[in-house]
Amino acid sequence: MTPPTVHPTGRRPQQTVPDVRAIALAYRVVIRQLTSVGRIVALSLLALVSTVAGFALGTADADLDAAVRLISGLGFAVIIPVVALVFGGAAIGDLREDKTLVYLWLRPVNRWPLVVGAYLAALTLSAPITLIPVVAAAILTGADGGIVPATLLAGVVALVAYNAIFTMLGVWLRRFIVWGLAYILIWEGFIALGGAGVARFAIRKYTRSILVDRTGVDLDLADFSLTIGIVVPVLAAIVALALGSWRLARQDVD
Amino acid sequence: MTDFPPPPTSAPPAAATLPPPVIGAAAPPASFAPPTGPPPLAGPAPALPDLTGMIAVNGVSKFFGSVVAVSEVRFAIDGGVTALLGPNGAGKSTLFRMMCGLTPTSRGTVRVLGADPRLDRDVRGRIALVPQQDALFDHLDAYSMVLIAAQTHGLDDAGAIARWALEQVDLTDVGDKPVGKFSKGMRQRVKVACALVNDPDVLILDEPLTGLDPVQRRRMIALFHRLGDAGRCVLVSSHVLDEVARLGSRVLVIAQGRLIATGDYRDLRALMDDRPLRIRLAVSDPRRMAAALIERNLVTAVSVAADRLTLDTLDADALGRTVAPLAIELGVHLTEVSPLDDDLESVFRYLVEGR
Repeated sequence: MTPPTVHPTGRRPQQTVPDVRAIALAYRVVIRQLTSVGRIVALSLLALVSTVAGFALGTADADLDAAVRLISGLGFAVIIPVVALVFGGAAIGDLREDKTLVYLWLRPVNRWPLVVGAYLAALTLSAPITLIPVVAAAILTGADGGIVPATLLAGVVALVAYNAIFTMLGVWLRRFIVWGLAYILIWEGFIALGGAGVARFAIRKYTRSILVDRTGVDLDLADFSLTIGIVVPVLAAIVALALGSWRLARQDVD
Repeated sequence: MTDFPPPPTSAPPAAATLPPPVIGAAAPPASFAPPTGPPPLAGPAPALPDLTGMIAVNGVSKFFGSVVAVSEVRFAIDGGVTALLGPNGAGKSTLFRMMCGLTPTSRGTVRVLGADPRLDRDVRGRIALVPQQDALFDHLDAYSMVLIAAQTHGLDDAGAIARWALEQVDLTDVGDKPVGKFSKGMRQRVKVACALVNDPDVLILDEPLTGLDPVQRRRMIALFHRLGDAGRCVLVSSHVLDEVARLGSRVLVIAQGRLIATGDYRDLRALMDDRPLRIRLAVSDPRRMAAALIERNLVTAVSVAADRLTLDTLDADALGRTVAPLAIELGVHLTEVSPLDDDLESVFRYLVEGR
């Protein structure tokens, strides 16, 4: 028997989705898209490298200076940005690549809640995978002097900023992984170390500043106050999400 | 190989003036407008009044770099089922993407329910698209997939609506198997269910029958007709000629990015039936068979190669009725009768190029 074609509501559906509900929906869709066992295991293993390094440093009775350099050089220069790149870039980028973005795009929703929901999903996944091993590394170094809370605070700031920047990158660019790695390895890891002026445009400078402010260790290119170290990356995240939303509204969708 | 000199072939249908192609309750007869070379890249086009309708496409072109995907397309559609017919690569999907606002036009305007679908958030809640690409959230089961479609339309009773939509496409008993493990046909049905959730005024379906078995095709076509009868504007694309015959009598024909015919399918079919058809016969004595067919004035051209005959005919039905009895009469073995150019591309070639 042919089912009735009459819509069960018997009326027109409401015409737009409230922004908060759209954020929640995008979050749910994206977090399930991003959650693959292979990706999580691979990134967890990468993050565990910092824990092992912290343990090794701890067994060698290294001082606070060495511990902070390890956390800054491995945790904040490689692990957090790379994990954020994989999740943040894929948050919208994967939907676009596998052509499922249309199921969120062709809807009566504003664009910014889609980007914010995708960003929060990336943040949700990247935070435990990076923060737990990196903070554990700080603990295992055995160094005193506030390295653990400093690592936690700088880690949260780094995750907030990197995930937003890479979510934006996933909206703008098809090869977001290549461009993201270029940013992490070439810009932040090489060019930004060349001078204070250039370093202002690197998130790493701000996370290093937080570490320096909270531990008192002397690191190069880390001369911002704690307030600036927190506020600027958060502002950068907001700008990145705004640019991502702007672009999402104007891009071609397959 | 022996080639008999072909008699003069019939001329292609003469270009008719394209009437304002508004397709709806009172559709005009089919018209034919062959393309006249590449679209002008500069200079103002002659001003035509904007067409209106549930979907109104006015002078729309789409360029990808130097590639012209859609060129100066102009039509309007109201409620009911309309088929968009065209060979692969004709520009159907690009046109659909512009109608849904997924990509901007390079020139011209698209209005759906009077609004620009790319800019108007509200109108996107009244459109549904079944995309051509085989993309779904593969980890979800069918119910969850359709549920998300309902929720992203802001529907309150999304669960009941998702179940109803799955019922429309006969997918109520698929359990919690992820759609990634569905067959192509089942995935198509999930896509259609997703498109039904918001009770759309405008339903755009890009090759929705691909992968469906004959029973499901029939049911799906019946569903489209029910929606069309209920006043929805249902636009279905296909590159399969016979499929279009069952989809509806109203067609838009697109080839090489241009709208080449609009109107009633039966008129278009008649236009197509007038073209010479090429048919191949495999017979034991092809020369004798060829001579007999020419004598009966059933063919316009014949070529013979080994045991094969290639025939051009203007009356395929008469030839079909004659060829088997003739083979018996001549005492030759007939082992194959097959059309060589019954595909859509050859139809378009005839419509566009007259060959």
